[in-house]
Amino acid sequence: VNGFTDWTYMAIAIGGLTVITFLTRSAFFLLPSKVQLPPAWDRALRHAPACALAAIVAPSVLTRDHQPFIAWDNHQLWAVLVAVPVFVRWRSMTVLIGVGMAVFTLLRLI
Amino acid sequence: MSLLFPTVDRASLRAGVRAMGPITVAIGVWGIVTGVAIVNAGMPEVTALVFSFTVFAGAAQLATLPLLAVGAPLPVVWVTAMLVNTRFVFFSATARRYFAHLPVAQRLVAGYLNGDLPFAMFLRHHGDDEAHGTPQQYGYFFGLTGVNWAVWHVASVVGILLGGLAPAQWGLDLAASLALLGVLVPMAERLPPLAGVVVAAVLSVLLVDVPMRLGLLVAIVAGVAVAVVAEVGSSRRAVAGGAS
Repeated sequence: VNGFTDWTYMAIAIGGLTVITFLTRSAFFLLPSKVQLPPAWDRALRHAPACALAAIVAPSVLTRDHQPFIAWDNHQLWAVLVAVPVFVRWRSMTVLIGVGMAVFTLLRLI
Repeated sequence: MSLLFPTVDRASLRAGVRAMGPITVAIGVWGIVTGVAIVNAGMPEVTALVFSFTVFAGAAQLATLPLLAVGAPLPVVWVTAMLVNTRFVFFSATARRYFAHLPVAQRLVAGYLNGDLPFAMFLRHHGDDEAHGTPQQYGYFFGLTGVNWAVWHVASVVGILLGGLAPAQWGLDLAASLALLGVLVPMAERLPPLAGVVVAAVLSVLLVDVPMRLGLLVAIVAGVAVAVVAEVGSSRRAVAGGAS
Protein backbone atom coordinates (compact mmCIF):
# COMPACT_ATOMS: atom_id res chain seq x y z
CA VAL A 1 0.00 0.00 0.00
CA ASN A 2 1.29 3.50 -0.80
CA GLY A 3 -0.68 6.22 0.97
CA PHE A 4 1.11 9.01 -0.90
CA THR A 5 -0.56 8.21 -4.22
CA ASP A 6 -4.09 7.82 -2.80
CA TRP A 7 -5.37 11.38 -3.31
CA THR A 8 -8.51 11.07 -1.16
CA TYR A 9 -6.55 9.58 1.72
CA MET A 10 -3.86 12.28 1.51
CA ALA A 11 -6.42 15.11 1.26
CA ILE A 12 -8.28 13.95 4.39
CA ALA A 13 -5.03 13.23 6.24
CA ILE A 14 -3.50 16.64 5.45
CA GLY A 15 -6.78 18.43 6.20
CA GLY A 16 -6.89 16.78 9.63
CA LEU A 17 -3.23 17.54 10.30
CA THR A 18 -3.84 21.22 9.48
CA VAL A 19 -6.68 21.37 12.02
CA ILE A 20 -4.42 19.67 14.58
CA THR A 21 -1.68 22.24 13.94
CA PHE A 22 -4.09 25.08 14.75
CA LEU A 23 -5.74 23.37 17.72
CA THR A 24 -2.55 22.27 19.51
CA ARG A 25 -0.73 25.55 18.97
CA SER A 26 -3.68 27.65 20.09
CA ALA A 27 -5.00 25.20 22.72
CA PHE A 28 -4.82 27.42 25.80
CA PHE A 29 -5.51 30.60 23.81
CA LEU A 30 -9.01 29.28 23.15
CA LEU A 31 -10.00 29.13 26.82
CA PRO A 32 -12.18 32.07 27.91
CA SER A 33 -9.91 34.90 29.09
CA LYS A 34 -11.54 34.85 32.55
CA VAL A 35 -10.04 31.42 33.26
CA GLN A 36 -6.74 31.88 35.08
CA LEU A 37 -3.92 29.35 35.15
CA PRO A 38 -2.23 28.82 38.53
CA PRO A 39 0.99 30.92 38.63
CA ALA A 40 3.01 27.79 39.52
CA TRP A 41 1.98 26.29 36.15
CA ASP A 42 3.11 29.39 34.37
CA ARG A 43 6.54 29.26 35.99
CA ALA A 44 6.94 25.55 35.32
CA LEU A 45 5.95 25.75 31.67
CA ARG A 46 8.49 28.46 30.98
CA HIS A 47 11.03 25.63 30.97
CA ALA A 48 9.10 23.78 28.24
CA PRO A 49 10.78 25.42 25.20
CA ALA A 50 14.32 24.58 26.39
CA CYS A 51 13.36 21.00 27.28
CA ALA A 52 11.56 20.60 23.95
CA LEU A 53 14.63 21.78 22.00
CA ALA A 54 16.82 19.35 23.99
CA ALA A 55 14.44 16.47 23.28
CA ILE A 56 14.50 17.30 19.56
CA VAL A 57 18.27 17.75 19.21
CA ALA A 58 19.54 14.89 21.41
CA PRO A 59 18.06 11.97 19.42
CA SER A 60 19.26 13.53 16.19
CA VAL A 61 22.88 13.50 17.39
CA LEU A 62 22.91 10.54 19.78
CA THR A 63 20.83 7.89 18.02
CA ARG A 64 21.01 5.96 14.77
CA ASP A 65 18.29 3.69 13.38
CA HIS A 66 16.19 4.21 16.53
CA GLN A 67 18.97 3.01 18.85
CA PRO A 68 21.21 5.04 21.18
CA PHE A 69 24.49 5.60 19.32
CA ILE A 70 27.21 6.74 21.74
CA ALA A 71 30.43 5.47 20.18
CA TRP A 72 33.88 6.56 19.02
CA ASP A 73 32.70 6.60 15.41
CA ASN A 74 29.72 8.90 16.05
CA HIS A 75 31.17 11.86 14.14
CA GLN A 76 28.22 14.09 14.93
CA LEU A 77 28.84 13.62 18.66
CA TRP A 78 32.49 14.71 18.30
CA ALA A 79 31.45 17.70 16.22
CA VAL A 80 29.03 18.82 18.95
CA LEU A 81 31.56 18.19 21.76
CA VAL A 82 34.06 20.48 20.03
CA ALA A 83 31.67 23.11 18.71
CA VAL A 84 29.59 23.80 21.83
CA PRO A 85 32.51 24.90 24.09
CA VAL A 86 33.77 27.09 21.23
CA PHE A 87 30.28 28.59 21.01
CA VAL A 88 30.11 29.19 24.77
CA ARG A 89 33.38 31.14 24.45
CA TRP A 90 32.70 33.06 21.21
CA ARG A 91 28.88 33.41 21.20
CA SER A 92 28.57 33.15 17.45
CA MET A 93 26.06 30.94 15.67
CA THR A 94 28.17 31.06 12.52
CA VAL A 95 31.27 29.87 14.41
CA LEU A 96 29.20 27.12 16.07
CA ILE A 97 27.93 25.72 12.77
CA GLY A 98 31.25 26.29 10.99
CA VAL A 99 33.37 24.51 13.61
CA GLY A 100 30.87 21.68 14.03
CA MET A 101 30.56 21.01 10.31
CA ALA A 102 34.35 21.27 9.86
CA VAL A 103 35.01 18.66 12.59
CA PHE A 104 32.30 16.39 11.17
CA THR A 105 33.55 16.63 7.59
CA LEU A 106 37.16 16.08 8.66
CA LEU A 107 36.26 12.93 10.63
CA ARG A 108 34.10 11.68 7.77
CA LEU A 109 36.89 12.04 5.21
CA ILE A 110 39.80 10.56 7.22
CA MET B 1 -6.06 47.33 13.32
CA SER B 2 -6.67 44.30 11.20
CA LEU B 3 -8.77 41.20 11.40
CA LEU B 4 -5.87 38.81 11.89
CA PHE B 5 -3.30 40.77 13.89
CA PRO B 6 -3.44 43.03 16.97
CA THR B 7 -1.87 46.49 16.85
CA VAL B 8 1.90 46.23 16.93
CA ASP B 9 4.71 48.65 17.72
CA ARG B 10 6.77 48.99 14.54
CA ALA B 11 10.12 49.48 16.26
CA SER B 12 9.56 46.28 18.26
CA LEU B 13 8.55 44.48 15.07
CA ARG B 14 11.87 45.45 13.51
CA ALA B 15 13.70 44.43 16.69
CA GLY B 16 12.05 41.00 16.48
CA VAL B 17 13.04 40.61 12.84
CA ARG B 18 16.65 41.59 13.65
CA ALA B 19 16.78 39.25 16.67
CA MET B 20 16.04 36.31 14.38
CA GLY B 21 19.09 37.13 12.24
CA PRO B 22 21.57 34.39 13.15
CA ILE B 23 18.80 31.91 14.01
CA THR B 24 17.41 31.97 10.49
CA VAL B 25 20.34 29.67 9.67
CA ALA B 26 18.86 27.10 12.05
CA ILE B 27 15.37 27.41 10.65
CA GLY B 28 16.61 27.44 7.08
CA VAL B 29 18.69 24.29 7.43
CA TRP B 30 15.96 22.55 9.43
CA GLY B 31 13.39 23.44 6.77
CA ILE B 32 15.62 22.17 3.94
CA VAL B 33 16.32 18.93 5.81
CA THR B 34 12.58 18.42 6.39
CA GLY B 35 11.74 19.15 2.74
CA VAL B 36 14.42 16.74 1.52
CA ALA B 37 13.21 14.03 3.92
CA ILE B 38 9.61 14.39 2.74
CA VAL B 39 10.47 14.04 -0.93
CA ASN B 40 12.99 11.25 -0.30
CA ALA B 41 10.27 9.30 1.54
CA GLY B 42 8.47 9.19 -1.81
CA MET B 43 5.81 11.87 -1.44
CA PRO B 44 5.02 13.52 -4.82
CA GLU B 45 6.34 17.09 -4.96
CA VAL B 46 2.93 18.77 -5.31
CA THR B 47 1.55 16.88 -2.29
CA ALA B 48 4.75 17.66 -0.39
CA LEU B 49 4.29 21.40 -1.03
CA VAL B 50 0.68 21.34 0.21
CA PHE B 51 1.71 19.18 3.20
CA SER B 52 4.46 21.64 4.12
CA PHE B 53 2.42 24.84 3.77
CA THR B 54 -0.69 23.67 5.61
CA VAL B 55 0.75 21.53 8.40
CA PHE B 56 3.70 23.86 9.29
CA ALA B 57 5.19 21.65 12.00
CA GLY B 58 8.50 20.02 11.10
CA ALA B 59 8.64 17.39 13.83
CA ALA B 60 5.00 16.35 13.30
CA GLN B 61 5.53 16.18 9.53
CA LEU B 62 8.57 13.92 9.91
CA ALA B 63 6.79 11.73 12.48
CA THR B 64 3.68 11.19 10.34
CA LEU B 65 5.64 10.68 7.10
CA PRO B 66 6.30 6.93 7.49
CA LEU B 67 2.69 6.43 8.57
CA LEU B 68 1.31 8.26 5.52
CA ALA B 69 3.68 6.32 3.28
CA VAL B 70 2.06 3.01 4.20
CA GLY B 71 -1.46 4.44 4.32
CA ALA B 72 -1.79 3.96 8.10
CA PRO B 73 -5.29 4.44 9.60
CA LEU B 74 -6.06 8.18 9.84
CA PRO B 75 -6.69 8.20 13.62
CA VAL B 76 -3.16 6.82 14.12
CA VAL B 77 -1.72 9.55 11.87
CA TRP B 78 -3.64 12.28 13.69
CA VAL B 79 -2.93 11.04 17.22
CA THR B 80 0.78 10.85 16.37
CA ALA B 81 0.75 14.46 15.16
CA MET B 82 -1.11 15.56 18.30
CA LEU B 83 1.40 13.86 20.58
CA VAL B 84 4.38 15.35 18.76
CA ASN B 85 2.68 18.76 18.91
CA THR B 86 1.91 18.53 22.63
CA ARG B 87 4.84 20.83 23.39
CA PHE B 88 2.94 23.59 21.58
CA VAL B 89 0.05 23.04 23.99
CA PHE B 90 2.53 23.77 26.81
CA PHE B 91 3.80 26.83 24.95
CA SER B 92 0.24 28.08 24.47
CA ALA B 93 -0.35 27.83 28.24
CA THR B 94 2.69 30.05 28.86
CA ALA B 95 1.89 32.47 26.04
CA ARG B 96 -1.76 32.71 26.98
CA ARG B 97 -1.46 35.74 29.25
CA TYR B 98 -0.22 37.77 26.26
CA PHE B 99 -2.99 36.71 23.88
CA ALA B 100 -6.06 35.47 25.79
CA HIS B 101 -8.07 38.71 25.48
CA LEU B 102 -7.71 39.06 21.69
CA PRO B 103 -10.47 38.15 19.18
CA VAL B 104 -10.55 34.45 18.27
CA ALA B 105 -9.17 34.93 14.74
CA GLN B 106 -6.14 36.82 16.10
CA ARG B 107 -5.56 34.12 18.75
CA LEU B 108 -5.62 31.41 16.09
CA VAL B 109 -3.11 33.29 13.93
CA ALA B 110 -0.79 33.92 16.90
CA GLY B 111 -1.01 30.23 17.88
CA TYR B 112 -0.38 29.03 14.34
CA LEU B 113 2.75 31.19 14.07
CA ASN B 114 4.16 30.22 17.47
CA GLY B 115 7.17 27.96 16.84
CA ASP B 116 9.86 26.40 19.05
CA LEU B 117 12.63 28.87 18.27
CA PRO B 118 10.73 32.18 18.11
CA PHE B 119 8.85 31.35 21.30
CA ALA B 120 12.08 30.59 23.13
CA MET B 121 13.40 33.97 21.92
CA PHE B 122 10.20 35.75 22.91
CA LEU B 123 10.32 34.42 26.48
CA ARG B 124 13.96 35.46 26.81
CA HIS B 125 12.99 39.03 25.98
CA HIS B 126 9.49 39.41 27.45
CA GLY B 127 9.14 36.48 29.89
CA ASP B 128 9.47 38.69 32.98
CA ASP B 129 7.22 41.58 31.88
CA GLU B 130 4.67 42.84 34.39
CA ALA B 131 2.16 43.98 31.76
CA HIS B 132 0.86 41.58 29.13
CA GLY B 133 -0.55 42.27 25.68
CA THR B 134 1.38 45.47 24.88
CA PRO B 135 2.02 46.61 21.26
CA GLN B 136 5.75 46.19 21.99
CA GLN B 137 5.27 42.53 22.88
CA TYR B 138 3.06 41.91 19.86
CA GLY B 139 5.55 43.69 17.61
CA TYR B 140 8.44 41.59 18.87
CA PHE B 141 6.38 38.38 18.70
CA PHE B 142 5.23 38.90 15.12
CA GLY B 143 8.71 40.03 14.06
CA LEU B 144 10.16 36.77 15.38
CA THR B 145 7.38 34.47 14.22
CA GLY B 146 6.98 36.21 10.84
CA VAL B 147 10.64 35.64 9.98
CA ASN B 148 10.39 32.07 11.28
CA TRP B 149 7.33 31.38 9.11
CA ALA B 150 8.81 32.90 5.94
CA VAL B 151 12.24 31.30 6.27
CA TRP B 152 10.77 27.92 7.15
CA HIS B 153 8.51 27.84 4.11
CA VAL B 154 11.13 29.10 1.65
CA ALA B 155 13.57 26.50 3.02
CA SER B 156 11.03 23.63 2.88
CA VAL B 157 10.23 24.48 -0.73
CA VAL B 158 13.97 24.55 -1.55
CA GLY B 159 14.36 21.18 0.20
CA ILE B 160 11.38 19.68 -1.63
CA LEU B 161 12.60 20.91 -5.03
CA LEU B 162 16.22 19.89 -4.40
CA GLY B 163 15.11 16.49 -3.15
CA GLY B 164 18.01 14.11 -3.10
CA LEU B 165 20.58 16.53 -4.53
CA ALA B 166 22.36 17.00 -1.18
CA PRO B 167 23.71 13.56 -0.22
CA ALA B 168 22.92 12.40 3.31
CA GLN B 169 26.59 11.93 4.16
CA TRP B 170 27.17 15.70 4.00
CA GLY B 171 25.47 15.82 7.39
CA LEU B 172 22.95 18.61 6.72
CA ASP B 173 20.96 17.29 9.66
CA LEU B 174 23.98 18.02 11.87
CA ALA B 175 23.94 21.64 10.70
CA ALA B 176 20.31 21.84 11.82
CA SER B 177 21.17 20.29 15.21
CA LEU B 178 24.08 22.70 15.71
CA ALA B 179 21.85 25.66 14.92
CA LEU B 180 19.24 24.48 17.44
CA LEU B 181 22.03 24.09 20.02
CA GLY B 182 22.92 27.72 19.35
CA VAL B 183 19.51 28.68 20.72
CA LEU B 184 19.39 26.03 23.43
CA VAL B 185 22.79 26.59 25.06
CA PRO B 186 22.19 30.22 26.17
CA MET B 187 18.87 29.11 27.72
CA ALA B 188 20.55 26.36 29.74
CA GLU B 189 23.30 28.31 31.44
CA ARG B 190 21.55 28.54 34.81
CA LEU B 191 21.21 25.39 36.92
CA PRO B 192 17.42 24.82 36.98
CA PRO B 193 16.91 24.85 33.19
CA LEU B 194 20.22 23.01 32.65
CA ALA B 195 19.05 20.15 34.91
CA GLY B 196 15.79 19.95 32.94
CA VAL B 197 17.58 20.07 29.60
CA VAL B 198 19.97 17.24 30.56
CA VAL B 199 17.09 15.04 31.75
CA ALA B 200 15.04 15.77 28.63
CA ALA B 201 18.03 15.00 26.39
CA VAL B 202 18.89 11.70 28.13
CA LEU B 203 15.29 10.47 28.19
CA SER B 204 14.64 11.44 24.58
CA VAL B 205 17.63 9.28 23.55
CA LEU B 206 16.72 6.31 25.77
CA LEU B 207 13.08 6.42 24.63
CA VAL B 208 13.77 7.04 20.96
CA ASP B 209 12.22 3.74 19.91
CA VAL B 210 8.92 4.29 21.73
CA PRO B 211 6.10 4.42 19.14
CA MET B 212 4.38 7.65 18.05
CA ARG B 213 7.26 9.79 19.37
CA LEU B 214 5.82 9.38 22.87
CA GLY B 215 9.41 9.47 24.15
CA LEU B 216 9.61 13.12 23.08
CA LEU B 217 6.60 13.95 25.23
CA VAL B 218 7.84 11.99 28.27
CA ALA B 219 11.26 13.62 27.95
CA ILE B 220 9.80 17.15 27.89
CA VAL B 221 7.45 16.54 30.83
CA ALA B 222 10.23 14.96 32.92
CA GLY B 223 12.66 17.76 31.98
CA VAL B 224 10.19 20.47 33.00
CA ALA B 225 9.50 18.64 36.30
CA VAL B 226 13.21 18.38 37.12
CA ALA B 227 13.78 22.05 36.22
CA VAL B 228 10.96 23.05 38.59
CA VAL B 229 12.35 20.92 41.42
CA ALA B 230 15.82 22.39 40.84
CA GLU B 231 14.33 25.89 40.86
CA VAL B 232 12.46 25.33 44.12
CA GLY B 233 15.64 23.85 45.64
CA SER B 234 17.85 26.74 44.56
CA SER B 235 15.39 29.40 45.75
CA ARG B 236 15.13 27.63 49.15
CA ARG B 237 18.92 27.70 49.45
CA ALA B 238 18.90 31.38 48.47
CA VAL B 239 16.32 32.14 51.18
CA ALA B 240 18.23 30.11 53.78
CA GLY B 241 21.49 31.81 52.80
CA GLY B 242 19.90 35.24 53.10
CA ALA B 243 18.55 34.50 56.59
CA SER B 244 21.80 33.23 58.06
